[in-house]
Amino acid sequence: MNELEHTSYERTEGASHRPISNARLAVLVLLGAEIMFFAGLIGTFLVFRLGSVTWPPPSQADVRLPIGITGLNTIVLLLSGYTVFQGLRAIRQDRQRELRNWLFATGLLGIIFLVVQGSEWVRLVHHGFTLSSGVYGSVFYVLIGCHALHVLVAVLWLLAVFAKTVAGRFSGNHYVGVEVCAIYWAFVVVLWPLLYVLVYLI
Amino acid sequence: MIDRYFSFIIGILVLALLIPTVAEACPSCKTMDDPIVQGFKWSILFLMAMPYIVSGLIGGGVFYVYYRTHRTDNRKPPSNVKGV
Repeated sequence: MNELEHTSYERTEGASHRPISNARLAVLVLLGAEIMFFAGLIGTFLVFRLGSVTWPPPSQADVRLPIGITGLNTIVLLLSGYTVFQGLRAIRQDRQRELRNWLFATGLLGIIFLVVQGSEWVRLVHHGFTLSSGVYGSVFYVLIGCHALHVLVAVLWLLAVFAKTVAGRFSGNHYVGVEVCAIYWAFVVVLWPLLYVLVYLI
Repeated sequence: MIDRYFSFIIGILVLALLIPTVAEACPSCKTMDDPIVQGFKWSILFLMAMPYIVSGLIGGGVFYVYYRTHRTDNRKPPSNVKGV
């Protein structure tokens, strides 16, 4: 049974009896695990942050995190959340060319986010603020680094979906691949403002 | 043979009782004014709540999709259901 036949079978026979498709359920469970992973990291941050009388610790008092440029970067990532949602809306209405454009814009915004984050990290490392710069450096690089790694994975996933879109593999009746990728993208977008406020502003 | 082991264990226990030291295994068993206690407290509360929030979100999401699919099924024939 090829993919189209399988999709057709699911649509006519199985879909009305199944509350949610396997792919959607899988990505939801994956996101549950991801949320718990980041909850652990945030819990660690809370212990160190609330356990310190002064933050940053006195030994790292001269470190200035790039609040402004990262704030702008936050807007870039939030904008990518809007574009991926528009792409999903487009394919639901079988507008494949629009999906291609929105996915391209989303990927571009994700890459801009990663490049800006990377350049700011290089600047901080040159300033002497590294992973081994005490609790402050460890918490910052692990928390923000894990998110950046997730954005990188999301960009790679999006590129794979984009390639399949160019090949015409999605339609108004078959777009679950776009949808699960969009759900994952939404996760990394929604998570970032929380991390930004916790690590950069508080 | 057994008596020898028993005596050895009793000897260890007596020795442990003779040289007591303070051991704090619980980070929260201190005064509540200590900042590290506040840090642990909020971290524990946050992590304790998170599984319920995650399972609630996933359960709510599945219920919403199920509700929406059934509403769509009532309006349209099954062949028009999209995005499976």
